[in-house]
Amino acid sequence: MNFAAPFLLTLKLSAITTLLLFILGIPFSYWLAFSRFRGKFFVESVVALPLVLPPTVLGFYLLMAIGGNSFVGRWYESIFNKTLAFSFQGLVVGSFIYNLPFAIRPFQSAFTGVDKKLLEASWSLGRSKLYTFLFVIFPLSRQGIITGCVLAFAHTVGEFGVILMIGGNIPGITRVASVAIYDEVQALNYGTANIHAAILLAFSFIILAIVYFINRRFFTRLF
Amino acid sequence: MINVRIKKTWREFGLDVNFQIPHKKVTALFGPSGSGKTSTLRIIAGLEMADDGTITHGEEAWFDKMKKINLIPQRRSTGFLFQDYALFPHLSVEKNVAFGIKGREKLKEVKELISLVGLSGYEHCYPEQLSGGQKQRIALIRALARKPEILLLDEPLSALDMETRLRLQEDLKRIIQQFQTTTLFVTHDVTEVYKLADYVVVLDSGRVVKQGTPEEVFMGKRLSTRIQVAGKVVDIESDSIMAAVTVMHEDQYFKTLIDTEEVDRLNLKVGDGVVIGAKSSDVILFKALIQD
Repeated sequence: MNFAAPFLLTLKLSAITTLLLFILGIPFSYWLAFSRFRGKFFVESVVALPLVLPPTVLGFYLLMAIGGNSFVGRWYESIFNKTLAFSFQGLVVGSFIYNLPFAIRPFQSAFTGVDKKLLEASWSLGRSKLYTFLFVIFPLSRQGIITGCVLAFAHTVGEFGVILMIGGNIPGITRVASVAIYDEVQALNYGTANIHAAILLAFSFIILAIVYFINRRFFTRLF
Repeated sequence: MINVRIKKTWREFGLDVNFQIPHKKVTALFGPSGSGKTSTLRIIAGLEMADDGTITHGEEAWFDKMKKINLIPQRRSTGFLFQDYALFPHLSVEKNVAFGIKGREKLKEVKELISLVGLSGYEHCYPEQLSGGQKQRIALIRALARKPEILLLDEPLSALDMETRLRLQEDLKRIIQQFQTTTLFVTHDVTEVYKLADYVVVLDSGRVVKQGTPEEVFMGKRLSTRIQVAGKVVDIESDSIMAAVTVMHEDQYFKTLIDTEEVDRLNLKVGDGVVIGAKSSDVILFKALIQD
């Protein structure tokens, strides 16, 4: 049970993060893809930051932002009567932010890749922007959407720095697989660390193989 | 009647046009590439916004800069046929045609429309499985399916080879006549104007330079117009004095002799649309031996 717990926690965190990125990321990516807002480059730069920042830097600022002394931290504590930092919910917040570019960028580029004439055709056939999104843009962007979701999921599985900074290493709560490996190595349990690491390696490889498989356009008619 | 009076300026081009589209007639917006034809069509459809002016359909204003009215494309009741058809690649023919139709009778209507253009049996095909001509017909009935007040066609036949094009001119004419819809189509092909249009508006460099019936516009006072044939140049054989120009009109060929200087002056090339006219005094009649 102890052996499986970090993996189950990792999968739970990855699934929730991916679901949130799907629900909130799609309208946000639509806005990024089609808005003519002049400051869009600024928003795009902020979203892309996790791609270049060391996870510890991001983790440190997130800890400052959601810690017990912060506005968000105190607000959360006053409502839920527990801290956001060093909790599973805190990990979800951190994961969500850390994975934004991995989901948003494929979503956005899929949306902008849809031929503008198809959108205009839909509008001139009397269909609203929402209808056009649901029945033209979304189905034609499915590859990008699936790619974004799979990448966000896989990347969450592999997270380490951000999680350690904002979640620590609390068994059953914040001790995900990557942290467990670090822990086992610290305790010189190389055998256990090796099993954990091999499972993560195999899992990551399978996920990437799926992404490349989808991008071969093999799934086009299946979804 | 649709009144169009619009102005729009881009970085290197200005559009300033004023014309009317007669009710239930087919009007051609004719002119060379870059004369502003497609932009005019897109502004009427609401896909682009003019800087100034008005677009009115009867009493209803679709666009009025002064009154700050600018109806979205969905509320303009136009059917737009894009140059490359813009069929939804992920939807079957049937679903493409049904896309703009609301209501219970949808499926029956779709079937009728598809059979009208002779494509029954293709309902479940996807656009990538259709030929250029088939795509064009599907896009046309998709645009007509929601019974628009005005049908806007952006170079409807330009993406097709010449043979298909000639065949589809007939189809297009038949379908438009059947629907009795006010139509505005963009073309740079004089034969298409002759074949399809009741009225023509000629644009050049963003301005209306002429408008009227095709005869009024193209013949002017130059010909007595006893004989007129609009067609496409398929061959030019010339020496230093004379040139023999072969013109294809539907499935017939006409050969005419003109001065080589005239060929150079007009910069006449194979593929150009032309009208051949002859004054009665110039006609030479050969008596042929006819065997009963």
